[in-house]
Amino acid sequence: MPLANPPAPQITRTRSAVTASNVWRAYGSGEAQVVALRDVSVQFASGAFTAIMGPSGSGKSTLMHCLAGLDTTDRGTVHIGETPITGLNDKALTKLRRDKIGFIFQQFNLLPTLTAEENILLPASIAGAKADPEWIARIIATLDLSQRLTHKPTELSGGQQQRVACARALATRPEVVFADEPTGNLDTRSSAEVLRFLRKSVDDFGQTIVMVTHDPGAAAYADRVVFLADGQIVEDLHRPTADAVIDTMRGFETRVPLAGEAR
Amino acid sequence: MLRATLKGMASRKARLVLTSLAVVLGTMFVAAAMILTATMEKSVTGVIADAFTGIDAVVTPAEDPAAAQGNTPSANLVPGDVLETVRGVDGVDAADGDVSGQVNAIGDDGKLVGTFAPTIGFNWNAQSTGFNVIREGRAPEADGEVIVSAQFVTDSGLDIGDTVTAYSYSAERADYEIVGVFGLSGDRDSLAGETQIAFTTAEAQRLLTQGEDAYMAIYVQGDASTEDIADAISADYRVQTGEEASEEAAQGFAAVADIMGYIFLGFGLVAVFVSVFLIINTFTIIVAQRQRELALLRAIGAARNQVVGSVLAEAAVIGVIASIVGLGLGVVLGWGLSELVSSTAMGGLPVQLQVPATALWALAVGIGVTVLSAIVPAVKASGVPPVAAMREAVNPPKPLRGITIAGLAVTAVGGVLVVLGLTDNLGDLGLSGFLSGVGIAFVGITLLTPILSRPLVALLGAVMSWSFSGRLGRLNAGRNPRRTAITASALMIAVALVTGIATLVASFKETTTDLTDSNLESDLIVMGQQGANIPTFAPETLAEIKALPDVAAVGDLYGEFFGAEVDGEPTPLYASEDLETSLGIFSGTVAEGSIADLPDDGLAVNESAAEDRGVALGDTVPVTFADGTTEQLEVTAILDDSQLTDGWWVAPTQIEHFTIPKPMQAYIQVADGADIDAVQEEVETILADEPEVDVTNNADFIAQQTGQLDILLGSVQVLLALAIIIAIIGVINTLVLSVLERTRELGLLRAIGMTRGQARRMITVESVIICLFGAVLGIAVGIGLGWTVQQALEEEGLTSFALPWDYIVIYLAAAVVVGLLAAIAPAARAAKLNVLNAIAYE
Repeated sequence: MPLANPPAPQITRTRSAVTASNVWRAYGSGEAQVVALRDVSVQFASGAFTAIMGPSGSGKSTLMHCLAGLDTTDRGTVHIGETPITGLNDKALTKLRRDKIGFIFQQFNLLPTLTAEENILLPASIAGAKADPEWIARIIATLDLSQRLTHKPTELSGGQQQRVACARALATRPEVVFADEPTGNLDTRSSAEVLRFLRKSVDDFGQTIVMVTHDPGAAAYADRVVFLADGQIVEDLHRPTADAVIDTMRGFETRVPLAGEAR
Repeated sequence: MLRATLKGMASRKARLVLTSLAVVLGTMFVAAAMILTATMEKSVTGVIADAFTGIDAVVTPAEDPAAAQGNTPSANLVPGDVLETVRGVDGVDAADGDVSGQVNAIGDDGKLVGTFAPTIGFNWNAQSTGFNVIREGRAPEADGEVIVSAQFVTDSGLDIGDTVTAYSYSAERADYEIVGVFGLSGDRDSLAGETQIAFTTAEAQRLLTQGEDAYMAIYVQGDASTEDIADAISADYRVQTGEEASEEAAQGFAAVADIMGYIFLGFGLVAVFVSVFLIINTFTIIVAQRQRELALLRAIGAARNQVVGSVLAEAAVIGVIASIVGLGLGVVLGWGLSELVSSTAMGGLPVQLQVPATALWALAVGIGVTVLSAIVPAVKASGVPPVAAMREAVNPPKPLRGITIAGLAVTAVGGVLVVLGLTDNLGDLGLSGFLSGVGIAFVGITLLTPILSRPLVALLGAVMSWSFSGRLGRLNAGRNPRRTAITASALMIAVALVTGIATLVASFKETTTDLTDSNLESDLIVMGQQGANIPTFAPETLAEIKALPDVAAVGDLYGEFFGAEVDGEPTPLYASEDLETSLGIFSGTVAEGSIADLPDDGLAVNESAAEDRGVALGDTVPVTFADGTTEQLEVTAILDDSQLTDGWWVAPTQIEHFTIPKPMQAYIQVADGADIDAVQEEVETILADEPEVDVTNNADFIAQQTGQLDILLGSVQVLLALAIIIAIIGVINTLVLSVLERTRELGLLRAIGMTRGQARRMITVESVIICLFGAVLGIAVGIGLGWTVQQALEEEGLTSFALPWDYIVIYLAAAVVVGLLAAIAPAARAAKLNVLNAIAYE
């Protein structure tokens, strides 16, 4: 059922891991200008699994990149935990990504020259720090990777590679893990394994996860789904089911964009 | 299709410029070599032609006068009556005889004048002016007067009004008053740094023709034909036109420029050879980058040969442009080099720039090499399947077995050629066999580099792995062994060549030092710089030295190098006033017979020389001396082979038959406990009146012997500099490609927290490892090459093998610097990488 008004940002009582306030982001200039994000405000609760969905070009990847400090905002601010990241220089942003953020990408997630174990320890190695061995062992056990640690990425299946990437993302116990279409290149079985692990890491380890996806089935693993269309948040579903997600998405196709002319 | 090719090239300007640079350098050196040779030849010809201006005919002895020495046999002269006859020929306006030859002139330091002592002496006559210009004073009018060249003034420290002492091998010393100074036309002091002194004709004949009224040549002015002149005189004399004579004379002078030309041609060819690797690599890179584009072209219907054509067309365009630029720069370089050669070695000869047709060879070489090098990548490109356009480009590393087997085979062929070339099995083709063997071996070793790169890169990288980004760089360097190897090859070849030469020089020094230290029992050596003639000193001086109280023993050496024959074969002869003592000082030992009191008809010879001639102890051998005397000598001693004493020794009583019956060298053994420096000073005092020789201690002697090699070694480093430039280009190319190929990886690393500095370090380490790999390999190959040559020359006396440690360290340091320099741009590119674009999927 179409909504009459855009939803107000949900202000939760729990501590928020990532906060975006009135974020704008545009690319190009003049006639060719594309506004990817229009005044987006959203908070992601600590210890929750949130999915960002939306059709192609809705701005969901841009939002994630801005949240993760990979892209800059034109206006508005982004906080990771209590730290404002807007305006930080490259060095500070790099350090922030290294210490507080974990990444899982769709593909090209691992360095081909390193073994699975070395890939998992990569962020710590880059930082010149020692990873917590107990924690690493626990992640490896949970992901069932102990038999694969000495393998190079080319010797691993797609699902195994993505599990190694998950382990790497969690290895430094980051404040938040951003997953960008983590199941986009995987078969259904491997997808399910990866998603179950993400779910488990939230439930068992209290990890915060923000996942961009276009797969309603994947979104159903999340605690909450935020829908983007034309650079704005248009829906916010809590405790979603796959069907509810599909229904919501279907709604976009028929609906007239809301506040589309907002400046 | 050509349009698409050209548009594609325009979008890859930077890489093409870098590749072109390699071709440009190669063509430039080849062209410069050709131009230098032609220009110097033309310039020298021009100057000599100046000297022959107004000379219409030249009469010389029919026999080659090149053998003319200070003691010229009269057979090589034109007698005075021939001059008179020529003067009487119809149409001859004037004729003058030329007397010239080598004269020893003593400078104000008591030693011989001239870097290439002795000085050129000639008779000053009416024809001397024109080419020679009197700057000051006048021509010699009396036998006690001379006019000297400006170069002579510079080198001797003597000037107009001073007295100069001069002598020749056939005439005793005499004093002359310098009454004039002349320069050469074009306001030059000399033609090629030589010193000249001119006498009256009679005095020149006293010095140079043993007083005979004879000439080396007769110069004729007038319109009498050469036939007319030839008819008037005997057939013993050759008549040439002035032009012919001038060309003949120019040939000798142009030889210096020819040698320089060959050296630069060598540098150019090495540069071209190294460029081949760079071009192959660049086109492989371009093809890899264009994989999708090429696949797309294939998908929309381009035939395989159209793709090959497209890549080759690109190569041809680069080849043509770069070769033309190279040729242009080659002209400039050739001109500059000609000026340099002229001012340093030719006494400021006016350069007449000449671009010979052979310079166009440089164009052909540049274009040909570029296109040929692009064939392999082009054929590979055509094999790109159309579906690749739709797929992510992946280049799985290919197995190295084939290339390794090919490399071993090619290296073996090259090695065999090198060995054959060195062991004289190829006869006259020995040198070309050796050089082509080296070239082929380099190709083979290059094919082996990929397999070698694995362990070597791992080893070198281990040193660099102290930081994590260093470790990643090391892993990246080992990632594509073929690419790492071919990139390092450029540096490898150059380093191998210079290391090879440095190894030989080090071995030669070691040999000299060894010989002196272990075989020479003397403390001081009296000898002269080897110039155009053999420096000698008076036997009385030798006696004076022997009589010094602190001198324990003196080994002396007389030599005969011209015209002596043993059993009908030209053979140098040696003699010593006291052979037993001399052999003792040279650590020579007797195998058979005895050298004590060598009888007048005795002969001592070393084992292998005796074996060569089939001579045994007690045999009688006819020995002919330069003065025509033939003696039947009996072999009374066979010496053990030893470098310092090998040869045929005759009794001291035979010395009188020698061309120069004077000692050449003396080896002084200082008495135990005596001060060597003090004895050296005493000997110096005795030698004050001996212009041709000096006394040195052993250390100075070694330094003198090896000093010239150091200059040679230094000039060869130019080759290294050239290769370094090409190597830097190659490494930049490879690194830029690596950065491009690994964009996503870099993006990932940056996303998960790698700083820009770390990214830079990672690329830099990769670069340094590639360069060190090339240098280490090159040093190893160079040492191998040096060792092979040393082994081959062991029989010739290069008995020691030594490593040039100083140069090895320098080359390794240079490799690190090259690595650091080459990494600057690619590392900056990696650091500035836009993380978002890098990790974007499409």
